Amino acid sequence: MLHFDPYSPAVDADPFPYYKRLRDEAPCFWSEEAQMWVLSRYADIVSAGQDWRTYSSASGNLMTELPNRAGATLGTTDPPRHDRLRALVQYAFMKRNLEGLAEPIRAIAKRAAEDLRGETTFDFKDFSAKFTVRVLMAALGLPSGEEAIVDEDTVREKAVLMVQSDPRTRSKGPEHLAAFEWMRDYAAKVIAIRRAAPRNDLISNFASAEIDGDRLDEREVLLTTTTLIMAGVESLGGYMMMFAYNLASFPEAREAVVMNPEWLANAVEESLRFNTSAQRFRRRLMRDVELHGQTMIEGDFVCLAYGSANRDERQYPDPDRYDIARKPRGHLGFGGGVHACLGASIARIATKIAFEEFHKVVPNYSRVADQLPWMPSSTFRSPLALELAVHS
Amino acid sequence: MAKITYVDWGGRSTTVDVANGWSLMQGAVSNGVEGIVGECGGSCACATCHCYVDPERLAELPAPDDNELTMLDLAAAEVRPNSRLSCRINVSPTTEGLVVHLPETQG
Repeated sequence: MLHFDPYSPAVDADPFPYYKRLRDEAPCFWSEEAQMWVLSRYADIVSAGQDWRTYSSASGNLMTELPNRAGATLGTTDPPRHDRLRALVQYAFMKRNLEGLAEPIRAIAKRAAEDLRGETTFDFKDFSAKFTVRVLMAALGLPSGEEAIVDEDTVREKAVLMVQSDPRTRSKGPEHLAAFEWMRDYAAKVIAIRRAAPRNDLISNFASAEIDGDRLDEREVLLTTTTLIMAGVESLGGYMMMFAYNLASFPEAREAVVMNPEWLANAVEESLRFNTSAQRFRRRLMRDVELHGQTMIEGDFVCLAYGSANRDERQYPDPDRYDIARKPRGHLGFGGGVHACLGASIARIATKIAFEEFHKVVPNYSRVADQLPWMPSSTFRSPLALELAVHS
Repeated sequence: MAKITYVDWGGRSTTVDVANGWSLMQGAVSNGVEGIVGECGGSCACATCHCYVDPERLAELPAPDDNELTMLDLAAAEVRPNSRLSCRINVSPTTEGLVVHLPETQG
C-alpha cells in the first residue's frame, strides 16, 4: 500500500524514495494524510503549472496555508489580478535592475565570511542567516542599521518558523501562527514608516502603488509585503543551506567550484534541481480532471511536487546524481509558469556572490554529521543546522 | 501535442513534439533546443525567450498583452513586428507545424 505523508519527518529528511514510487506506480495519487492529490512527474507538473485556469492558486499555494493569506498575495492570486499585482513589484526583481545591488551584496558576504576566519567547525546557518537577512534588508528597503526596528536574528527566526508545520497535528501550531502574526505586524510597521517618509525602495513604492487607477487594498499591501520578507529570508537562506549541504557532501563538486568560481552558476542550477528547497506547492481544481486513470474533482487540492519533477528520470537521465556539468534546463527549482519565483534572479546573484566570498575564507570543508535536523515543513526542505568541519 | 520547429540564428532547425498547454519556451528548454533561455521560468519577467514567429501565422495566435509588449522592449536582439516572447504562446492544435526563428542573442 502506497502512502505519501508530507508531514512525516522521514519525508522532511529524504522524500526521494517516496517520490520515485509515486512517479512509477501512482503518478496521480490521492494522499489520505495530506487530503490532496499528488502529482510527481515532470511533464504533469509543467502542464499543471501552465494551466492556471484549471489549477488555481487563489485558495492558497502553501501546502499548509497561513490564515487569511490566500487571495491577497502574488502566489495566491490567479491572472489577471496576479499579473497586475506582479507588474508592480516585478521591476525591482529583474536581473538588469539588480546590478546596483551586486556590490552591497558582496560587502555583506565578505563581512559574514570574515566572521568565520580561524574557526575549525561552525554551523553554516551562522553565515547564511546573517547574509540572507542583510541582503533582503538591502533589496526590499527594510529599516536596518541605526534605523532598524527589530534585530536581524529575530526576523530570520520568525521567517523560518512561519513556514513550518506541526507533524503531529498536520497543521500550523501556535508557535507558527504567532511567528506569522509577528511578521505581519513587523511588515505593517515598515509600511507605516515608509508611507510617512517615502524613499526610493520597493516597499515605499509598493505601499502607494495603484493598479489601473485602483489602489491596492490594505490586505494585499500587508500580506504581499509579509510574504516577500518571509519568502526572501526563508527561501534564500534555506536554499543556501541546501547548496552548502551539496558542496559539503560531494567533494569533487566543491573542489571544482573553488578552483573555478565560474562553475558556481552551473552548480547553483544543478543544486536547485537536485535538492530543491521549495519541494511542494499546491493548487485547487476549478474543474474535474482525468489523469493517469484517476478522476480529480473540482474543488480538490493538488500538490505539485517540484522536488520530484526535478528527479524524474523521464526528464533528467541519472537524476539522483549531483552533476554540476549537467546544465538542467527547464528545472522547476523556482517553480514554473506565471507563478515562477519572483526572486529567481536575486537568488542566483546573491548565492553566487556569497559562495565566492565564503570560499575565499573557507575553501575546504566537509559535513560533521551524517544525520541532520531537517525542518518540519510540508512545503519547504532544508536542514535547520549544518555543522561543517574546516580542513587546511 | 503539436509539432513545433525552432530555427536557430545559424539556420539549424529542430522539430519537437510539444504537449498541448505548454508554452513554446517550455517546449524548447525541456527538449534541449538551444537559443531560448527562459531565465525567469515563464513568468514574463526576463525577455530571454524572444523568438520570431512565422509572419504568415502570426494572426492565428492570441495578440500579446501589455506585459509582454513591455518586456519585449527589453529583448537583447532586434525586435521585429513578428517578435514574441515564447513563454506567452501556448501550444494547441492550431499551432501544429508552427515555425519560430530564434534571435542572434537572448542577452
